[in-house]
Amino acid sequence: MSLSKAKLSRRKFLTLSGAALATATAASSLSSLKAVASSNTKENPVNTKGRKFVYSSCAICVNKCGLVAEVNNGVIRKLNPNPHFFKSRAMLCARGNAGAKVPYDPDRLKKPLIRVGERGSGQFKEVSWEEAYNYIAENVLKIIKKYENRSAIGFASTEGFQEEFFIHLANIVGSTNTVRHPTLCLASNIQGYSSVYGTYPDADILNADFVVLAGSNRAEAIITPDTIDMAKNHKKQTLVCIDPRVTKTSAIADKWYPIKPGTDLALVLAMINIIISENLYDKDFVEKYTYGFDELAKHVKQYTAEWAEKETEIPASEIYWLAREFAKNAPQSVWYPGRRSSFYANDVYYRRACAILNAIVGAFDRKGGLVPKSGIKLKKHDFEFPLYDFTKERIDNGTLPFLEEKLPEEFKTAGSLPTDSCAYLSEKDGSWIVYRDAALAGNPYPLKGMFIYKQNPVESVPNRKKTLEFLKQMDFVCTIDVAMSDTAFYSDVVLPESTYLERWDPAENLSGVVPIVVARQPVIEPLFDTKSMHQIAVDLAKKFYDMPEFWEDSTDEDRAYLAKYIKAMDVPMEHIIEESLSGYPGAYEMLKEKGVFYLSTEPEYGKMLAEGARFKTRTGKIELYNVKYAEKGLDPLPVYKKPSVGKPGQFRFVVGRHGQFTHASTQNNIYLLEAYGDYENALWINSKVALERGLRAGDKVKVVSKAGEQIVKVMPTEFIRPDIVYYVHGFGRISKGLSLIYNKGASEAAILYDYAETISGNACMHETFVDIQKV
Amino acid sequence: MSNKKYAIVLDDTKCIDCKACTLACKMENHVPTGLYNYRIWVAEKPVRGHFPNIKRSFQPSQCQQCDNPPCVHVCPTKASYQTEDGVVLVDHNKCILCKYCMTACPYDARYVNEEIKAIDKCTFCYHRLPEGREPACVETCPPKVRVFGDLNDPNSEVSKLLVEHETFNLKPEKGTKPKLYYIR
Repeated sequence: MSLSKAKLSRRKFLTLSGAALATATAASSLSSLKAVASSNTKENPVNTKGRKFVYSSCAICVNKCGLVAEVNNGVIRKLNPNPHFFKSRAMLCARGNAGAKVPYDPDRLKKPLIRVGERGSGQFKEVSWEEAYNYIAENVLKIIKKYENRSAIGFASTEGFQEEFFIHLANIVGSTNTVRHPTLCLASNIQGYSSVYGTYPDADILNADFVVLAGSNRAEAIITPDTIDMAKNHKKQTLVCIDPRVTKTSAIADKWYPIKPGTDLALVLAMINIIISENLYDKDFVEKYTYGFDELAKHVKQYTAEWAEKETEIPASEIYWLAREFAKNAPQSVWYPGRRSSFYANDVYYRRACAILNAIVGAFDRKGGLVPKSGIKLKKHDFEFPLYDFTKERIDNGTLPFLEEKLPEEFKTAGSLPTDSCAYLSEKDGSWIVYRDAALAGNPYPLKGMFIYKQNPVESVPNRKKTLEFLKQMDFVCTIDVAMSDTAFYSDVVLPESTYLERWDPAENLSGVVPIVVARQPVIEPLFDTKSMHQIAVDLAKKFYDMPEFWEDSTDEDRAYLAKYIKAMDVPMEHIIEESLSGYPGAYEMLKEKGVFYLSTEPEYGKMLAEGARFKTRTGKIELYNVKYAEKGLDPLPVYKKPSVGKPGQFRFVVGRHGQFTHASTQNNIYLLEAYGDYENALWINSKVALERGLRAGDKVKVVSKAGEQIVKVMPTEFIRPDIVYYVHGFGRISKGLSLIYNKGASEAAILYDYAETISGNACMHETFVDIQKV
Repeated sequence: MSNKKYAIVLDDTKCIDCKACTLACKMENHVPTGLYNYRIWVAEKPVRGHFPNIKRSFQPSQCQQCDNPPCVHVCPTKASYQTEDGVVLVDHNKCILCKYCMTACPYDARYVNEEIKAIDKCTFCYHRLPEGREPACVETCPPKVRVFGDLNDPNSEVSKLLVEHETFNLKPEKGTKPKLYYIR
């Protein structure tokens, strides 16, 4: 491996944000930052007595809705929606409301902890921050020396306003091995849409007339503003719901099709075929903006509606209706891209087909169709970090002999999926499934340390047993969180972060059909001995800076980079916010006055269709036929492959969201748990099937998969296909620090097998088959 | 004499059972934890049909703020009372927890608040109204299922909605004259 290449690649992922300033600009702004920092006269909204209303931004899920906290004498009374935050249509959901109790949660982390018992015993001692930092620094150094590899220390995180500081920490330590949430979520979606449009667009739901939601449960997986616009518009908008479960979204849908799982691609290909063969496509648009239409037309001829009926179990007549209505309503038609796409092994090809469907009817970058995201560019520091000799390339990149094992049997030979290395692995996101296997195999090298921020891989990554083995073989694990997650429970050091209501967070652009900027300011003072990720990164940077042994594989010049970083970052967050908004006169004031900053409330269409604009694809056009895929030996046009099948008597296990829970993170909030309506989860099984198997509501069953087994109570229901089972994510937890849900119900991660889709490296969460046994 | 008459008009076809209203209410009004402690709720209407011919729908509800409130009529201590603007409230200091009102309410809209040792229920967020703020459930709802306003003001949104839409009340046969109106 070439060291210089590793160095170079690391330079490239220094910042998370795309809107980065040139280094020179950042350096020149340092003096002004320092000047602001020294005049520390900003009024602190937290310090006033009595009743007050403070603007901030929710952090209980990814939407970051604007909120107004009502605070009485330093205690949060209520979180209300910010009426100026148009992205959420001025709402605050159940989780957003329950967030008011997050700082007061008796289970939250209050002091830094160092493990004293066996790993996973839950025995920790409270320590000072200084002790914790010393312990961390010592262990980081030990690993670097022992393995002569800084990349032997991994950094796992999920999105959030403070995540950038965690990524800084990875850069400071000198590791290339960041691993982020997208490969448990939307990596294949981003890859699929980008392979067609060169970008991953949003949907203009507000103005769409015909919306198809396939596997996107917007009522229970709230995305702003889409969920709200769908619910508000449902009488004038045709909403088609395609899902093997009768989700709450079906309540506002005009049609619902319980598709056979894993066959969505057949449906989309048949729709494309109908639209082309019946001349319903947008000829001008196709001619002007797309590449490969003739190949597409020829390719989809084989996919008739009658054929698709057999695959999908959706009547051919309905497929004709869908295709014709989709074309008729275009460009106000949307095949909703959705968000989490970690479904099946062929997911990228399926998402490609969805993108192609929208393209051939010309429903792209036009009102009511798919719209490329717009953003508001903020000034961000683009730091240069030190370079070290002991940095190696990513562990999950390049040729990996075990990759083929990550594919379900049916896709190993017939799926046109890579079997030696992931085709399009994101350099800063990696692939969780592949990363963990590489670490367990010690191939290409051992991964022996782990920093984890805000993520809980033990319950988030399929195959819990494997994640525990992954953590067990580590020399050192440090988790930064607000609660004792299962991962924190298995860590050596646990650093308590201040909750989102107790800290400043940088201003962030929320891109979308109409972009908006929010930031966070503390609505109350930190209740306990906690710090922000920002402060933790700065503190650890200082610690490493002062350790001569830390610099043995680097130069004085590199060490100076860290000094610069510390100087720039060791300032109050409000100054960083002000600086990031400095390109827009009045922006900071607007943020203070309204809790938001925006340039316009109206969408802008047609930017990519303008004369001279070029799509970010090889041909500069919308690639119905992907040129790079053809070169890489991938299918340039989406080819249907039959889904994998279980053994007789088995069920496909599917995952899905619930309106009261954000992934595995809010189940331990008593208000949300009770709003969910039970203190444990239950297995959805079709009523008829339950009857046949002699299963009644409340009976306990053992769910057994290739990954493990769980015991859970049964909920016979009409709301699910007979060939699948489901339960709500986030129960059956193994951290005793999550007192409400420890050992209650069943864990999803313990059942899901860790298959991966090998184009984007995304997990396949709908490829697991289970046996159900009455206990 | 107040010249206001508060009411809520609901379009429950927009409801996605996200329970933002229930949570906002719990937070705003310090409703204690407990599976059965709530001032407002979202009910799933009886499921129609069998898989795959099936439809789900939801009905958010709360105290109906009846014009003819049985809870007030049966209360022996006058703890339950009606304000001049037609809002039914409970004076927690006068409540002796005899639960007559709970029995009398056809909507099961009341619960025992063990923390204050009194019966509790929806107040239309009466404490918010003088500040010109809407009830918490109305304000927080993502698709704005509920619209709150004054029936005596012909220009209020509730008055307009009642003119524009056919509505119904829950359990009209009870003669309680609810002020929650559901759009058909």
